[in-house]
Amino acid sequence: MGSLGASQFVDLLVGGIAVGCVYSLVALGFAMIMRATSIIHFAQGELMMLGAMCGLTSLWLLPVLPLILVVAVGMVSSGIIAVMMELFVYRTLRRRRVPIMNIITATVGMSILCINAARIIWGSEPLRFPELFATTAYEFGGVRISPQLFWIMVMAVAIMGGLQLFLKLTRSGIAMQAVAQDPEAAQLMGANLTRMMAYTFAISGMMAGAAGIMLGSMFFAFFEMGFITGLKAFVAATLGGLGSIAGAMLGGILFGLIETFSTVFLSSAYKDAIGMILLIAILLVLPSGLVGLWQRRR
Amino acid sequence: MTISPDPAAARIGATRWVTLLAVAALIVLPWLEADRFVLHVFSLIAIASIVAMGLQLLLGCSGQLSIGQAAFYGIGAYTSALLTTKLGLPFPLALLGAGIVAAVASLLMVPITRLTGAYLAVATLGFSIIVYLVIKNEEWLTGGSYGFISIPRAALFGFVLRDPMYSYYVNVGVAAIVYLTFVRIQGSRFGRAVNAIREDPDAARACGLRVTLLKSECFVIAAFVAGLAGSLYAHEVRYLAPNDFTFWKSIEILIMVVIGGVGSLAGAILGAAVVVGLPEFLRGIGDYRMLVFGAILIATMLFGEGGLAAICTTLGRRLGGLVTRLTPKPAGTNESVQ
Repeated sequence: MGSLGASQFVDLLVGGIAVGCVYSLVALGFAMIMRATSIIHFAQGELMMLGAMCGLTSLWLLPVLPLILVVAVGMVSSGIIAVMMELFVYRTLRRRRVPIMNIITATVGMSILCINAARIIWGSEPLRFPELFATTAYEFGGVRISPQLFWIMVMAVAIMGGLQLFLKLTRSGIAMQAVAQDPEAAQLMGANLTRMMAYTFAISGMMAGAAGIMLGSMFFAFFEMGFITGLKAFVAATLGGLGSIAGAMLGGILFGLIETFSTVFLSSAYKDAIGMILLIAILLVLPSGLVGLWQRRR
Repeated sequence: MTISPDPAAARIGATRWVTLLAVAALIVLPWLEADRFVLHVFSLIAIASIVAMGLQLLLGCSGQLSIGQAAFYGIGAYTSALLTTKLGLPFPLALLGAGIVAAVASLLMVPITRLTGAYLAVATLGFSIIVYLVIKNEEWLTGGSYGFISIPRAALFGFVLRDPMYSYYVNVGVAAIVYLTFVRIQGSRFGRAVNAIREDPDAARACGLRVTLLKSECFVIAAFVAGLAGSLYAHEVRYLAPNDFTFWKSIEILIMVVIGGVGSLAGAILGAAVVVGLPEFLRGIGDYRMLVFGAILIATMLFGEGGLAAICTTLGRRLGGLVTRLTPKPAGTNESVQ
């Protein structure tokens, strides 16, 4: 399709990366929980939705709240909810050494619980966020970028960078990585397993909450928004290589780009299908995701 | 008291009695409870239990986690609807055709049975999303979002099953056939080989089992029965909409298997009864019913490890123990019969 101008191409690219950043943030949560506990956390999308809802509620109560605080509210509330899930349900399940399938099913139950609680609390109408961003486009060397997408990308990069620093530089971060790799050895070295698991869920929830605010401000916030986004993020995490943090970030952005470009170039009705076909193809060739390819090369 | 009764034999005997009782209850039910809606719900439970048993074979026996069974269910439903309306095939042929088409569709996916765990789950999920989108977008074939309307009722040998009682018998009958077949499969050489694969794929391969082939066969069988169930569903409800075959449906099927108890066929049926029946039962509390359903799901996982099947077995054993303790034993009747 040669009719596409350079500016339209940039628009698509930016839009794809922005949506991809949202997927990356949710996928990061999937990857961290998968690494630490090897469960597929199906309620991850719902954490995102609850973050969006809580952020929106804080805006209703205090309309002057700046963007950064709205994101903070979303992150904190999702983080708290995630820790509660871990403390009250998942931890108990793990202690009883129930089969992994039962824990995964419990996360599905958690997701059903969250969706329906949100529907009762916030209603089933899509809710629009008030204008959080400047409306005049920024110009970077002749390329115009909408402030919304720009700030979403900046925030996502900042949050993911912050997470990397936390994991690499702080004692807790290193302990979390150790617990994910070998819980028993880490425990022998003095890492507090219970606390590290709670941290893992807290961070996963916070990532999801931030993603919720971003996605909600791009489109709408409504009770079912988490489900399909959660699925896509899960696919993105797999695309990158399950349980790998770099893979989840990469996979998310890639998935956002694939989705955006295939909508325009191929078919909007089948935009989700194209991502899935690609996913199956990649899994067949590289059963351990993109990160597996990179590790094999080294 | 020279020979103690063999507990395994006793258990098999008990299971046989429970099965017989259940069969009798299912046969008598329409005569006791003439309400059409109740019979309809029982039909839906029978249909759901067929898909659930298929997934049980896949997950419980061969250890493959599929979260895309709704795809084969949907393929079966639409195939059967198309065969009866467009080609005018009779219902039994359409039923078989639905199973076969679903099985053939699953052959497309056979390469992914090389994947394990979460990767297999994601791949099946992807497949089910593709199938959903095809159903939703190909209006010329499936009616798209408007749905597929005016599907004929099930008919056997020219006799249209107009009364919900007859379709109830058909649905429950097919479910029973699938159950019995699967019981045979589990006990067969194939079933034991598949179990060995779940326990330890490497050891099974070392014993000369063709692991990938056996896993693929399970996949195809599960798809075949899902197709059958889809066909039954199409003729029971007589209206198909793409939203009946979303990813949620796959999740529901998975919940049936896990809540019933992974590895137990009877558990899959119990799970289907709970997942289909409970929301109907909770209809009275309106908006809160799915909230309660989610809570019950979590609670079942918290308090019942092996699912409903294990809970029932424990209850049965306790009850049995109670009965034997309470019944006065005339000297040497129970123990020495063996």
